[in-house]
Amino acid sequence: MSFRNSLRHQEQRTSDDSRKGPSRWSHCRKRGADGSLRPHDADPSVLDDGDRDQPRHADSRPASFTTPESDGPLPRCADWGSEVEKDELRTDVRRDMQRYRRRILVNDFSERERKTSSGSSDSRDSPIPTEMETDEAVLMRRQKQINYGKNTIAYDRYIREVPKHLRQPGVHPRTPNKFKKYSRRSWDQQIKLWRVKLHAWDPPAQEGSDLQAIEEIDLDDIMETESGASSSTESGTSSHYLKVVKAPSSTPEDSCSGTPNKVMRIGSEIEGSFDLEACLNEVKENGNWLTS
Amino acid sequence: MENSGKEEYKIQSFDIETQQLLKTALKEPSTVDLEKVANVIVDQSLKDQVFSKEAGRICYTIVQAEAKQNNANVFRRNLLNRLQQEFKNREETRGRSLQEWVCYVTFICNVFDYLKVNNMPMMALVHPVYDCLFRLGQPDSLQNEEEVDCLVLQLHRIGDQLEKMNVQRMDELFFLLRDGFLLQEGLGSLARLLLLEVLEFRAGGWRLSDTAQKYYYSEVSD
Repeated sequence: MSFRNSLRHQEQRTSDDSRKGPSRWSHCRKRGADGSLRPHDADPSVLDDGDRDQPRHADSRPASFTTPESDGPLPRCADWGSEVEKDELRTDVRRDMQRYRRRILVNDFSERERKTSSGSSDSRDSPIPTEMETDEAVLMRRQKQINYGKNTIAYDRYIREVPKHLRQPGVHPRTPNKFKKYSRRSWDQQIKLWRVKLHAWDPPAQEGSDLQAIEEIDLDDIMETESGASSSTESGTSSHYLKVVKAPSSTPEDSCSGTPNKVMRIGSEIEGSFDLEACLNEVKENGNWLTS
Repeated sequence: MENSGKEEYKIQSFDIETQQLLKTALKEPSTVDLEKVANVIVDQSLKDQVFSKEAGRICYTIVQAEAKQNNANVFRRNLLNRLQQEFKNREETRGRSLQEWVCYVTFICNVFDYLKVNNMPMMALVHPVYDCLFRLGQPDSLQNEEEVDCLVLQLHRIGDQLEKMNVQRMDELFFLLRDGFLLQEGLGSLARLLLLEVLEFRAGGWRLSDTAQKYYYSEVSD
C-alpha cells in the first residue's frame, strides 16, 4: 500500500501515474517493447504530459494506478474497458460456481434418495464437488471460450429452434461443462467440436456475398446425398460436417449454410440459399472461411 | 414520449442530429457507431454541467440495450477507455479549465453510480474516482468553491458505495478534509460550511441527522 501512496504523492509534481509512455521501469531497459533501442538521453522523469505527442509503442502500457486488488501485482490489462470486462467475467464465473455447487448438492441429495430405492447410480452429470474445477483463471478462460460460441447468430438460432427439453444427446450440440475436470487439450477439443456442431444453425449465406460463389441448390438434394457424401473421398471433416446437417431436418432452410458465419448477432436475419459446393470447398481451403 | 425522453436524459442541449443519434443508440445500439456515441456523450459531459450530473443514466441505458440486443459491450468499452484517457489528462484539464475538470469528476462519479457489473460497482473505477476526490481535497482546490462544491456533491451521491469498495482510502480522504477544514488558511466560509456538513454526513453513516438537516438546509428555498 505504501507503494501506491508514494505514487499518489507524486501526482502533484508530475502526472507520472498517467503517463502514456513506456512503463515505469522502461528507462532501465535498453530496448523498447518493439525491440528498438531506447535513446540514451531519455530522462524518465521528463515522461510527463509533454510526451503525449510522441507516437506510442504498439503495446505500451501506461502505468496502472487502477489496481482494485490491493497489494497484488499490476494487472496485465491496464485499460478500463478490458479491466471491467475481466471483472465481469470473474463475477459471472463466481456466481455460476455458487449456482453449480448448489445444484450438485441438490442432485446428490435427491440421488441418494433414488439410489436407496432403485439402486441405480448416475454420476455423469454430477461430479463430486471435490472433483470440480475451481481454479478461477481456468474457469474464466473456459467461460470466455463458451461466450465466443454463444455470441453467434448460429447459437441464437439454435436455442430458439430447439428448446432444452427437446434436445437429443449426440444430435444437438451441448455446451461443455466448464466445472468438470478436463485436461486443457480435452477441453479445447470439446469446444472446437461444439462450435463446429453449432455451425449447422448458421444463417444461409447472403446473395452476392464476396466470400464464395453461391449456387442455388435444393436442400432435399443434400439430405439425399448425405449418405453418399459420407462415403465420399472427402476428408473426415466434410462427412462429419454433412452429418451434422441432417440433425435439424425439421427446418431445412435453417441448417448448414454455404459459409458459416462467426458474426455477432445483429438482430436481423440474413436470407440466402444453400451452397453445397462451398461446403465441400471449405475442407480444401480450410483457413478461408475461418478468417472471413 | 419525445419530450419525456429528452427530459429524462437531458439531451436537449444537443443538436437535432445528435439527439437522433442518441435516441437510436438507446433503442438499437448495434445500428449506430457506438464509439462516436461514447465520444459525443463524454464531450458534452465535459462542457455541460447539467448533463454531466445525469449522463450516467443514458450510458446505463445504452449499455443495457446493447447487452440485450446482441450481448456486446462495445459502447461500455469505448466509454470507459475514453474516460481513462481524460483521467490521464486530468491535471492538464484542470489547469486549462476548472469547469471542465469539475464536469469530468461529476461525470465519472455519475458513471460509477449508474454502471454496475453484476450489481456491483466497477472495480476499475474505484481508485480513479478516489484519485479525483483526493485531488479536489488538496489545498489549492479547497480555495475554489466550485471544486469544494463538486467534492461534497460526489460524496453525497456515491460516498457510501465508494466506502464499501475501499474503506481505507475513504478514511484517508476524510483525514485530508478534516485537515483542510481546520488548518487551511484562506478557506471561504462557504467552503468551510460544505466541509463541515460532509464531515457530519459521513459521521452519521452517510445520512444527515434531522437536527443537522435543519441546521444546514432549513433556510434553503429550493
